[in-house]
Amino acid sequence: MTAARPLRRVANDRSLRVIKGHSLKRLTLAPWTIMVIIGVVAFLGLGFARTSLDRSAFELDRLDKAITEQEAINEQLRLEIARMENPARIAPLAEEMGLVIPGNTRQLLVDLDGGGPAVASVEGEGDTQ
Amino acid sequence: MAATKAARKPNPAKLRVALIGLFLVAAWLGMAYRLVQVQVVQAADLADQGLSQRLVTRDLAPQRGKIFDRNGELLAMTIEAQSVWANPGQIEDPLWVAQQVGGLLDVDPDLLYERLISDRDFVYLKRQVEPVLAEQITELEVRGLYTHPEATRVYPAGQVASHVSGFVDIDGNGQEGLEYVYDEDLRGIPGKAVFERDLEGRIIPQGISDIAPAVPGTDLNTTIDLPLQYQAQQACLSALVRTDAESCWVVVLEVETGGVLAMAGAPVFDPETRRTVDEECDPTEDPVCSSFSNFVVRGVYEPGSTEKLITVAAAVEEGEVEASTLIPEVADVLELRKDACRSADDDLYGCYRDFEEHETSDMTVAEIFTRSSNVGTILVAEKLGQDRLVSYIEKFGLGSPTGIDYSVEAPGFLNFEAGCETCWASAAIGYSVAATPLQMAAAYAAIGNDGVWTAPHIVASTTDVDGNEDVTGLETRRVVSESTATLMQSLLANVVDEGTGRAADVEGYRVGGKTGTANKLGEDGRYTEETRASFVGMAPMDDPKVVVAVLIDSPSFKFRTGGAAAAPVFAEVMEQALHRLGVTPDATDG
Repeated sequence: MTAARPLRRVANDRSLRVIKGHSLKRLTLAPWTIMVIIGVVAFLGLGFARTSLDRSAFELDRLDKAITEQEAINEQLRLEIARMENPARIAPLAEEMGLVIPGNTRQLLVDLDGGGPAVASVEGEGDTQ
Repeated sequence: MAATKAARKPNPAKLRVALIGLFLVAAWLGMAYRLVQVQVVQAADLADQGLSQRLVTRDLAPQRGKIFDRNGELLAMTIEAQSVWANPGQIEDPLWVAQQVGGLLDVDPDLLYERLISDRDFVYLKRQVEPVLAEQITELEVRGLYTHPEATRVYPAGQVASHVSGFVDIDGNGQEGLEYVYDEDLRGIPGKAVFERDLEGRIIPQGISDIAPAVPGTDLNTTIDLPLQYQAQQACLSALVRTDAESCWVVVLEVETGGVLAMAGAPVFDPETRRTVDEECDPTEDPVCSSFSNFVVRGVYEPGSTEKLITVAAAVEEGEVEASTLIPEVADVLELRKDACRSADDDLYGCYRDFEEHETSDMTVAEIFTRSSNVGTILVAEKLGQDRLVSYIEKFGLGSPTGIDYSVEAPGFLNFEAGCETCWASAAIGYSVAATPLQMAAAYAAIGNDGVWTAPHIVASTTDVDGNEDVTGLETRRVVSESTATLMQSLLANVVDEGTGRAADVEGYRVGGKTGTANKLGEDGRYTEETRASFVGMAPMDDPKVVVAVLIDSPSFKFRTGGAAAAPVFAEVMEQALHRLGVTPDATDG
């Protein structure tokens, strides 16, 4: 059995000493790891954002083209409506259906002071000069 | 010694390594040199070259403005069409292509063949065709045939409003009518787009992009009433058939504003093809039938008796006569120069006759006007004197452009040569004066507007791309007093009630107007038997809203007078105008 060594000797042993910052040295890995992760995430994020932007730009381009096409169709339809409403097309069709231009009808002019309605007469052609 | 020699002998392996090392160093130096050259020295130039290959600059064509009638109906608009073109060098069988495409495009195959065998790289086969047609061309899958989009101007109302809208050329430049006058406003401002594109021509999303959008042209909101315009044109076309005339022109003015409600004529043309619609018309033989010049604005004629309104109004305004003033001994012939009426070409030398022979009698100014007596009117004008007569003719707008917004307006002219002793008398009855139908309509509108002359106009307002509306201002001036105008209105009503213009009567309305019959000058400067028959009038007479002027050029002898040829057309158009404006009838006895 040997007796236990006094603690003082341990303290005096120069080969054994407390190294300052040992625990800190192990901790320095974390910021680098975090920075790398942030960097990777940022890179991926940037790539994703750029891809999204590109995709949006293509989508916008497609929508622009679609709008232009629809506008062209709209203009064509507008033109078609205008052609359909052309009096030169409507009037002959109306006449075929037996309709007459309002001016060619007789008017009933009601005398409010009494008496019955009178039909306006049509004047004959007068003298010429 | 041998050991020394061996030591001095170069080691081949080391030598090879050294050489390779040297080569590598040289290569690296070369690459470094090239790197510096490319990345530093030539960097800017090469970057520019690359950019120029990717960068594309495109002109953005603006949408040409639309033209509307007063009810918002389209008179002119621009749509996208397709133009068919070819690269003749790529066409393998030009004859076959010319036949196939010629049939589809309705173009002479011989003409197409000539184009397809030319040594050019780009030839148009037909411009601005409908997209459906272009698709059929594309479906032929012929190498060397291409289409590209191009704007084209269309006129939905067709020939109906052609004399108002005018037309553009194939490149969209205004050539006639409103298209010409408002060309700058209608065409808008071109834009420019600069962008980067990839190999397939797609826009690089994050690349350089600078777009200055095109600004569309201004829209024109006209005073034209399309249904009335159609009725006026139909009335003219019917009149041509009925009277066998060369041409017929009608203008309808809104009295208060001077707005042109209709301005039509016959013969007519198609503004899209820029050709007459009359299939029997041969332009080489008859330039009139193929003309698209608007006579209402550009054609001058001697107005004849319709000018008497100005003469009598001036005399009344100056206090020389009243309606009841008795002019003594009004004969049916007046000789202002001795023996003038014995000459064959008497009209040029001071002999004036009434249209109908009558006994010499005293006549009131009202009777002279109603019966359209040339002699009586000259006697009235004699009281006025030449200077004052000319002054009033000019006040009423004859001899100078009205200022209407239409291309190349004719000013007309007053022929008062120095030493001419009878010009004043001729002017008093509508000779020695040349006016346009529009000028005559505006003069009558001044009487209808209680003595205030208003400049005619076609565009009521313009609307820009932001919806801002710019309303056309009215240009007015008083030419006679309200009392004189009222008196002249009653005299005009008499002409239709019991005078020479009875054929101008409109059922349900009191109408006033004046007939005009003027012989045409021949090429030798002498008057011919051919006439220009006209009628200018207004309605309703209790508060005139509309003035209609009708001119029929060279009707057959039976219809040679204004009362026979023009008055019925006036009645037809006036009736439609009153209905279109919703004017309440003011007469109970027809």
